[in-house]
Amino acid sequence: MEAAHKKESGKPVFSDYDYSNFYYGSGDDPLNLLPPFNEWYREAKPNGYYLYNEPLETAPTTKVRVRDGKTQEVRDLVNLASYNYLGISYRPEVKQAAMDALQKYGLGASGSPILSGTFDVHVELAKAVAEFKDKEAAILFPTGYSANVGFISAIMRAGDHIFCDQYSHASIVDGAILAKSKTVFFRHNNPMDLERKLSGVRGKKLVVVEGVYSMDGDVCLLPEIVDVAKRHGARILIDEAHSTFLFGPNGRGVSEHFGLDDQVDFHLGTFSKSLGGQGGFVAGSKDLIDYLTGFGRSRFFSCNLAPALAAGLTTGVRIVMNEPQLRARLWSNVAFLRRRFAEEGIDIGKSTSQVMPVMVNNDAKVFAVAEKTQQGGLFLQPVTYPALPKHKSRLRISVSAAHSEEELEFAVGVIGRVLREEGICRA
Amino acid sequence: MPGLTQYGYRDAMSGFFEFPTENARRILPAHLEPVEVHHGTSVFALTAFDFDKSEVGAYGEVVMAVVVAPLVKPGQPFPKSAMYPYLVATTTKAARDHAIERWHLPHWMDDVDIAFDRQKDHVTVHVKADGAPVADLTIYQYEWHPVSHLHQSFMKDGDANYLAHITMEGQHSEHENEKGSVKLYEHPFNKVLSIADVYDVPFREQWMRDGRQTFQPLEQLETA
Repeated sequence: MEAAHKKESGKPVFSDYDYSNFYYGSGDDPLNLLPPFNEWYREAKPNGYYLYNEPLETAPTTKVRVRDGKTQEVRDLVNLASYNYLGISYRPEVKQAAMDALQKYGLGASGSPILSGTFDVHVELAKAVAEFKDKEAAILFPTGYSANVGFISAIMRAGDHIFCDQYSHASIVDGAILAKSKTVFFRHNNPMDLERKLSGVRGKKLVVVEGVYSMDGDVCLLPEIVDVAKRHGARILIDEAHSTFLFGPNGRGVSEHFGLDDQVDFHLGTFSKSLGGQGGFVAGSKDLIDYLTGFGRSRFFSCNLAPALAAGLTTGVRIVMNEPQLRARLWSNVAFLRRRFAEEGIDIGKSTSQVMPVMVNNDAKVFAVAEKTQQGGLFLQPVTYPALPKHKSRLRISVSAAHSEEELEFAVGVIGRVLREEGICRA
Repeated sequence: MPGLTQYGYRDAMSGFFEFPTENARRILPAHLEPVEVHHGTSVFALTAFDFDKSEVGAYGEVVMAVVVAPLVKPGQPFPKSAMYPYLVATTTKAARDHAIERWHLPHWMDDVDIAFDRQKDHVTVHVKADGAPVADLTIYQYEWHPVSHLHQSFMKDGDANYLAHITMEGQHSEHENEKGSVKLYEHPFNKVLSIADVYDVPFREQWMRDGRQTFQPLEQLETA
């Protein structure tokens, strides 16, 4: 208790606060939260928060050049942070397709997709996605965030019920808010709790899950979730942001992996993860896509994807369809890293995918661990409360098919050394 | 500092539980906004105090509260959190009379029984009113660190609204390991809660011990 008394009078200690403290605040002026936030942030940034928003000066390949947020020093690092799970975004043929489209169409779409912003390259991309997903049609959104917000708010209304996993992405939560439906959260990946929450609820019901959860890297218990949802007459949306192009015999996602493609009602994916691009999509029946074209507000009222991006993505989708060895290479890398982490006593939590959290489980140490790993030559970010429960902080790794075993072995060496130095894992 | 009121405690344990925002809004006065952990999900907080030093002697207290947005004013110390205690119960009449008179806190108007069952790594608090169980709260410990945290407590008494600035000092343990629990019983004490909708595992468990709770003088609020 003495230590608490020794603090400078009236001045809060920055480590007592975090982002969550600066969201809610009543008073007379919406700017009232800025001074306390900035007072906190001025101390928090040099103490670890500078590790966010560090600018890259090269393409997000497996090696990147990064400007240090604290020292401004430029360093070459092994990249474990970018998605790019299949290493597509910097493939020469992808860049060439994008450059050709840039030459032909210029910088942007210059309009909403329903007015002047749809080009032949967008139509081609939507067709490629539909073919890849084995659906009648697909619709494009400017981002994955926009896809969830636009889709959920397009089909659900006030008085309806949306049942979301408690670890749902913000875009799912924001979609539910925009839909004005009653939102019920079930415990993470827990079909029994979903059953309890669905029981007795009448009217329109939508269950929303993700193929792979982005903080833990665990895979949705889809067979059990589908069983519960079907028995209660609920429709199912699966957000395959981190699983499209990766899971299943054809890479269509976790729903294909479990043989449940036809049992899931709505399939959503993104281009920013596996393809390293930008944008989102929904694939389904032509009737569904026609409806979304009219009611997907986040798309309707946004400028369309840049034509160069659409052209590059189409090439990326074709690469995925023609090169299944890319997925094999990714899963081989995942298996290698899992084995090496296990041998080194490094905890990766519940991960069963290419998203691997290196568990630090210490909110006070996670920034020091991240700083040391960066100084050791790795580019990866800390994740901590409030993005996670308290004391569940971690470094989040994105494994890519493009990583070499030498790069992954280097990462294991650096992470293992730092975690041992910090007393996080056994010697 | 003149006008401060201090209470020494052996234990102050809190469980924070998800419950529907609709329920929170039914409890809160119009000028207070519930903090949501998810859209539509607010926070019910149950705290049990084992006070060993105060103007009215040693006593036990339970506080049923909703977590709300703090009041932020330029140039004033920034609070870590804010609560609206909608029901307080004590083990002695003297403690109850003191809190009603000084803090305008809404009370259960009879003495309650509060038993602290202390185990190696957790404590279970059993609360009874009129001889019948009201709540059983179990809180697990984590790592202990000394803290001094500023909180706000909002009170409503008739048409008058109040704000208390409270500093909690002591050894502090906090985690979100979902190990603790609460069992709320059907009892008039819990009549404002939809018990079935209160999640019975706390998403956060907070335990303070060997500390001091300091109230600054009560502030009366002007609200619309």
